[in-house]
Amino acid sequence: MAGPILSVRDLTTVIRTEGIRFEVVRGVSFDLYPNEILGLVGESGCGKTMTALSLIGLIPAPAAQVTEGAVLFGGQDLVAVSERQMREVRGDDISMIFQDPLTSLDPMFTIGHLLTEVIRRHRTISRSEARALALQALKEVELPDPETRMNQYPHQLSGGMRQRVMIAMALMLDPDILIADEPTTALDVTVQAQILDRLVGQQRRRDVSMLLITHDLGVVAAVADRVAVMYSGEIVEQATVEQLFSDPQHPYTQGLLRALPQSRHQRGALHTIPGRVPPPQFTPPGCLFSPRCSQALLRCWEEHPELVSDGRRDLRCFNPQPLTLA
Amino acid sequence: MRYLASRTVYMLIILAISSVAVFYAIRLSGGDATAARLPASATEADRETFREILGLNDPIYQQYFTYMGRLLSGDLGNSLTNNALISKMLVEHGRNSLILGVTAFALVFLIGIPLGILASVRRNTFWDGGIMSMSVAGMAIPNFWLALLSIWLFASVLGWLPSAGCCEPKQLILPALVLAAEGTALTVRMTRSAMLENLDSDWVRTLRAGGLSEARVIGKHVFRNALIPIISLAGLRIGQIVGYALIVEVIFGWPGLGQVLVNAVLRRDYPVAQFFSLVLVVMVVLGNWLADLGYLAANPRLRKV
Repeated sequence: MAGPILSVRDLTTVIRTEGIRFEVVRGVSFDLYPNEILGLVGESGCGKTMTALSLIGLIPAPAAQVTEGAVLFGGQDLVAVSERQMREVRGDDISMIFQDPLTSLDPMFTIGHLLTEVIRRHRTISRSEARALALQALKEVELPDPETRMNQYPHQLSGGMRQRVMIAMALMLDPDILIADEPTTALDVTVQAQILDRLVGQQRRRDVSMLLITHDLGVVAAVADRVAVMYSGEIVEQATVEQLFSDPQHPYTQGLLRALPQSRHQRGALHTIPGRVPPPQFTPPGCLFSPRCSQALLRCWEEHPELVSDGRRDLRCFNPQPLTLA
Repeated sequence: MRYLASRTVYMLIILAISSVAVFYAIRLSGGDATAARLPASATEADRETFREILGLNDPIYQQYFTYMGRLLSGDLGNSLTNNALISKMLVEHGRNSLILGVTAFALVFLIGIPLGILASVRRNTFWDGGIMSMSVAGMAIPNFWLALLSIWLFASVLGWLPSAGCCEPKQLILPALVLAAEGTALTVRMTRSAMLENLDSDWVRTLRAGGLSEARVIGKHVFRNALIPIISLAGLRIGQIVGYALIVEVIFGWPGLGQVLVNAVLRRDYPVAQFFSLVLVVMVVLGNWLADLGYLAANPRLRKV
């Protein structure tokens, strides 16, 4: 396999509000390889979105700041580059799709205007050439009647159509990397499959590497090549999709899988993981998952486990047990 | 288009109602109209004849229809005090008022919007604090008091500007600034909060993710969105300026409609007072109607799909 296109090393993001400082992303490391889809999964509040925003420098400054680590892309460290250089990367080399298509497009401008503005920001081409490029991108995401849509405002489009526009906007300049943050979560169930299909189709056609952020393990199983599971700001397990789903090792991953309806690991009533993700300012001293873990040892309460790789899988657990059918 | 039609109908209804209100209000305020024209030595019989000629003994509704009939056929009538043609007064004083009002209206936005944007971009800094404190002061100080203070400071103490008069540009500065003060203060606050509200939108993140510069995101997109509430309340600013012009024109000796109206009311000059009251009403209502049009033009979500 070729070397990674994006390499994240010990990324730590801190939020300071009213004198309190807490880490929302704790030493996250992962690699993204060319043309693959890496799923980043976890509960709400586990730091998935903050990780993604940290990669492209869109965390809400000055309250949030990347304090440690590196994001290596194209021979430069994106954490260290200037905002000006970062703007050249955003939208052109690395682009992002957000969760809620209804609020993610400026309501005051037409679809065509928004798309061509981004194109002309990165390419010195004429307005008509930019429009042609935008139109082509809208056709490829199978937006119905794209010529008309170009002249319409966001409120005239449905949620599914708007998310198609977002996908077109993110992919029209053929970026190297696409970050998709819960791209189907806010959509109707009937539309979710179509959008996911378009997204993956475009990803394959344009040879884009994708970081797919989701809480939906079904989506990950369907499209991702590898999966990283996040809990409370850190990665607790990382493996290929086949490995992770057939042999989950971390108790948190096992809990997530058991909580899936109609899962082959589940019998009877739907499983829930007791408790909730601790707020980042009140984290336990040992393993962050220990208060909710059914197989925690004394050591788990006292000592923070490191992410250990056996060459095929990364795992952050002192006491991994085979998955039991609850 | 339906929106536009309904706004226009509302405007006409409001005009009709307010013309009745103005007409009655002046007559209900008491006082004797004959005092405006007849000498103090005039007998009661003379006064009665005079009232009869003017039609002041007719029922008020009848007077109203007679008056409106003449008004709509272009006959504005004459002043009771000096028999001057009201149409001529309208042209002369109206021009002065227009100069003052339009200047003040422009100042409201030319000063208010940039300061509001500056306060929002420099949120919670010295700039923001300073601008917002000035804005509070601008809203809290009544403008007759501001007028007197500014005359004292700039005319008496510093001697930079004339205290009163018309119609040199230099003489326009103080009354226009005083007239614009409260509207500017409100516009600053509104611009700031509208900018901040839109800065938190999801679509701002989308634009940033597209690589657009902060200047572009804020100066073009966020500002374009913030403009909607500013425009929709521009009509209120017109009303404010028209209302305050009465006081400001009198204090600065600016010979505009406000001054004419105040004098006419004091002298019970019915035809003048009611006509110029109506003019002010028309300006306020027309201003609101224009603001509705602007709102429509500014907001694509209101346009016909």
